[in-house]
Amino acid sequence: MKKYLAILAVLAMVMGVTVTAGCGGGGSQQEQGAQNVVKVGVILPLTGTEAMFGTMEKNSMEMAYEELKAAGKTTVNGKEIKLIFEDDQSKQDAAKAAAEKLINQDKVAMLSGGYSSANTNVIAGTAQSKGIPFLIVTGSADKITKQGWQWVFRGAAAPSSKYTSALWDLFDKKIKPRNVAIIYENTDFGTSSAEAFRAACKARGINVVFDQGYEKGAIDFKPMLANMKKANPDVVFAVSYVMDASLIVKQMKELDFNPRLFVGGAAGYTMPEFLENAGNAAEYVASTTLWVPSVSWKGASDYFKKYKEKYGKEPDYHGAQAYATMYVIADALGRAKDFTPAGIQKALKETDLMTIMGPIKFEDWEGYTNQDKPTTYVVQWQKGKLEVVWPEEAASGKLVFPVPKWSERK
Amino acid sequence: MSLFLQTIICGILLGAMYALIAIGMTLIMGVMKIINLAHGALVMVGMYITYFCFKEWGIDPYLGMFISMPILFFIGCIIQKYLINRLVEVDSILPENQVLLTVGIMLVLTETMRLIFKSDYRSVATSYSSSTFFLGDISISIPMTIGFLIAMIFTWLLHLFLTRTDLGRSIRATAQDRDAAIYMGVNAPRITVITFGIGSALAAAGGSLLLPLFYLWPDIGHLFTAKAFIITILGGMGSTMGALFGGLTLGIAESLGATYISMGYKDVVGLIIFLLVLLFLPGGFKSLTRR
Repeated sequence: MKKYLAILAVLAMVMGVTVTAGCGGGGSQQEQGAQNVVKVGVILPLTGTEAMFGTMEKNSMEMAYEELKAAGKTTVNGKEIKLIFEDDQSKQDAAKAAAEKLINQDKVAMLSGGYSSANTNVIAGTAQSKGIPFLIVTGSADKITKQGWQWVFRGAAAPSSKYTSALWDLFDKKIKPRNVAIIYENTDFGTSSAEAFRAACKARGINVVFDQGYEKGAIDFKPMLANMKKANPDVVFAVSYVMDASLIVKQMKELDFNPRLFVGGAAGYTMPEFLENAGNAAEYVASTTLWVPSVSWKGASDYFKKYKEKYGKEPDYHGAQAYATMYVIADALGRAKDFTPAGIQKALKETDLMTIMGPIKFEDWEGYTNQDKPTTYVVQWQKGKLEVVWPEEAASGKLVFPVPKWSERK
Repeated sequence: MSLFLQTIICGILLGAMYALIAIGMTLIMGVMKIINLAHGALVMVGMYITYFCFKEWGIDPYLGMFISMPILFFIGCIIQKYLINRLVEVDSILPENQVLLTVGIMLVLTETMRLIFKSDYRSVATSYSSSTFFLGDISISIPMTIGFLIAMIFTWLLHLFLTRTDLGRSIRATAQDRDAAIYMGVNAPRITVITFGIGSALAAAGGSLLLPLFYLWPDIGHLFTAKAFIITILGGMGSTMGALFGGLTLGIAESLGATYISMGYKDVVGLIIFLLVLLFLPGGFKSLTRR
């Protein structure tokens, strides 16, 4: 008995073991050059469950950096902007350690990065308490910018409750659902997205007939889906991570469960991997998203093409967020009077920049602090391609609704 | 009623594949008395080999299994022979140092795979990946059923091997009492090498069976290590049948938890069972049958 508990303790230790695998962007060996560099610490998940996204974001940032360098924008007042990447291993404790290391040891001028909401919140808390500006790339739980934290800025990412602005517009004007089901991963992002969706349903008098969170990374969703099928919703709203997303739609097909529309809350449902794994089960799945390659913002499609050429993979909105964030960083540092935290904070606050994610400004509204007002879209997989179906002025395809039943498809 | 049956069937099918992975761990634990925390990483490596065979040469995962199993058998033998056996020979201050070694092995395997395959999610989209048949209104996944059957066959073969062959008996003897086995002329170091090989090969088999249903990335090992560990404790160390029942128990418990409590607590259900077994049945299911 004692032995097993000891083993369990070891096991727990191992699961939380801190590994420095993917090393960051060179660390701080070049102290002698410290006089003429301005350091920006970027914390992203380069190992662990979220590594795929972290890698995409790191690649995008580096790509943006090279473009800025070619344009001579990475050297400001004789100081070169230097990115220091740290790995948060998709874990909160490692994220905190990385933030503290960057601030205390590397003496970075500002922080950026943050993929998962939970980790972003940890980094934001650290940055706030140390008085170092932090520009978020992805982490989008509402609460992060709702705490009045003056040092925390969120530009390329919407608060998760706002991911659905375009979707509600579509619901109100076209779909008018009566019964909806909500399923979501029980992470910060999933929970806050579901909460906002639930509130919006309540305000409109829509029945929520099924509402459940799940632990991400499961193999078998059938028990939950069979339960949901019994509730018979018109519309299913699901907030999922990429591979959960593909398993969910595949297993819905297996159960022959036919809601009139299935909508994902961004995250997993727009990824190329989702299509690859879900195959034809992805057809007609709709999703909210913050960005599509076909969006009319200047440089968006160029970024998409260039990334695909360079890394041999298609980026999604996460990569675009990182790319735009790098431009915001360079722009703010270029305008900063001095590289003190307060100087950079002031420069960030005055940002008004056009990026591939649209115009970015940091404003205070609806209880948010330093939060950009993003544009959102609804997309739908049609013939293996992601088409924008709402808002109509940005549409590249027509919404298919209600979607054909599994049995009626070829 | 159909919901209940659907839940139970899902649990049984998945549980059998969990069991196959756990049997490898329980064997190693029984013979070497060490916790092999690299077990999940071995499952992962096996999955990558099967995946690679599918992507490069179009070999179906159910056949690719027979390529990844011997490779993993070989890797397992190497690990035991040149790493673990050497540690067993030295008296160390920390009796748990083998555990630390297996953690090291896990990290090396994980990062090597990350180097080769990156952190991307990979999946094998076979023609039958999401094919099903219906019993009344209960949907049963075909790859899960195939996985269940193969897992059962392997378990049964292993059981025969352990009970009917000389080598199998030597493995059991070493597990029961290493010193006595050595006096009886069993070459214990060689037995441990073979055991680790078999355990690794079974890990690869379990992983390959899950490949058409699930997906793959370098850190997937943790999931399997945790499941296999719980099942090993449930079943009792070194007991194949115990692991089988442990696997089915965990699968069914998780499914029932997902249907009737909430899917958010699925993993909690497994851990609660784990603690209950530790508290009330320290020997696992094995201690119920006096063999």
